[in-house]
Amino acid sequence: MRRRRVNFDQPYWNPVLEQLPREKLRRLQLRKFRNIFAWAYERSRLHRPLYDRAGIRPEDIRGFEDIRRVPKVEKAMMRDIQRKDPFPYGDALCVPLDEVCEFRQTSGTTGQPVYQADTWQDWEWWAECWSYILWSQGYRPSDRVFMPFGYNIFVAFWAGHYAAEKIGCEVVPGGVLDTQARILKIQELKATAMMGTPTYILGMADTARTKMGIDPAGLGITKITCAGEPGAGIPSTKRRMEEAWNAKVYDHAGATEIGAWSYECRHQPGGMHVNEALFLVEIEDVDTGEIIETPGRRGKMVITALDRLAQPCIRFDSKDVIEWASEPCPCGRTFRLIKGGVLGRADDITKVKGVLLAPVSIEEVVRGIDGLSDEYEVIVDKLGDVDRIKLKVELMPGAEERAKEIENRLKDQLRLKTNLGYRIEFYDYGRLPRYEVKAKRFKDLRKEKPV
Amino acid sequence: MDSETDLAAINARIATLKKTALELKALGADIPCLDRNTARILASLKMLEIGFSDVVDLDSGD
Repeated sequence: MRRRRVNFDQPYWNPVLEQLPREKLRRLQLRKFRNIFAWAYERSRLHRPLYDRAGIRPEDIRGFEDIRRVPKVEKAMMRDIQRKDPFPYGDALCVPLDEVCEFRQTSGTTGQPVYQADTWQDWEWWAECWSYILWSQGYRPSDRVFMPFGYNIFVAFWAGHYAAEKIGCEVVPGGVLDTQARILKIQELKATAMMGTPTYILGMADTARTKMGIDPAGLGITKITCAGEPGAGIPSTKRRMEEAWNAKVYDHAGATEIGAWSYECRHQPGGMHVNEALFLVEIEDVDTGEIIETPGRRGKMVITALDRLAQPCIRFDSKDVIEWASEPCPCGRTFRLIKGGVLGRADDITKVKGVLLAPVSIEEVVRGIDGLSDEYEVIVDKLGDVDRIKLKVELMPGAEERAKEIENRLKDQLRLKTNLGYRIEFYDYGRLPRYEVKAKRFKDLRKEKPV
Repeated sequence: MDSETDLAAINARIATLKKTALELKALGADIPCLDRNTARILASLKMLEIGFSDVVDLDSGD
């Protein structure tokens, strides 16, 4: 029998699910939710008491309005039930310990790390989730994909690696190499694609240019998949990455406890598709708890992974701030879009001088101004009872003479985008801290001793 | 690709593969190579079920 090659022009990884009519998609979600709820109810010592206390049992889930009665799970609850038998996962483990074959943990930036158990089927599922992402972004078997990340206890781009293999790409693990060695390997092997956090992708470009005299735009990378930070969804940051590498930069969002739940397709529609065949995403009004169905209203995401078994993710309160887009994507997928990707985290949004501030909007301004480097730092403190906000930025070499003009532009744009006045501090290029993976650029000192 | 016939044919073959894999696994209690490789095949087959079999009878109601 003649071997048939898969059609590389097929835009969808799974045309059946990605084009499923909305009413069927909703029916599929409801059925799957019922299944995963029953699975956890029968097996998890975390979930069953939670649901019993709320008076909801599997047979009570008849429609989406019933799903909204299901108690949410917060990260703190996962922390509390772990480090106990079955060690170390504790009460949420739904399979025998000897069926667990993958361990990962959260980074612990918001507290004690959460351990995540996966069976091999769950791990296949992770790679399947990522296959939707990579195929939609144009990864094909002809690609040589370079992975410039530390392969360790964090999930990071592990599943991206497995998915790229599954798609048929040639995968080059750049694990323990330092940044310069990674750049040289990309050059040597003529890699065509890579994955990284926006901070690291910009940092690599900077290293190539300033320390190695290599123009990253000439290295032949044609596409970059970002995750871990909102950057690829921020137009000015995306533009900087695309210009630096002469590549298309695509956004994606996922999390250790959730899975890889959304992706930006090749059309770059100004947002990401939620993979609604594998996840149920609800957007909840932060103040009222009401579920938001209409576009244009921001809220925090409550998410269910519909097929993840070892340690289920059911109505997980992710605290990611998102909103539904009003326009469908021209790609033809029936999966809904979230506008602008993940807009921030509910616990990052803070009040400064009585004004709600999402740090991500500061990045949008800084990265949109020519003459400033990619780095910045925001510091909020108090003088007596009054909040103060300071922005540290770096001038690019040669831009020093334009400092006053840049400062005025910065102040105007920041006032427009955030309704706040800032003290601006300029630094020479290279003086602000560089970050390897995720950056910590927003520092709120108000909880410490007042100045 | 939205033809019901195609989907039904895909689903039938997934079911056949799964039946065969389960039969193989049952023969592998004392043969780790057989047991573990079929366990992995079954995990891959589950991805096909998620991708295709789960949507076959969506019209039939719940």
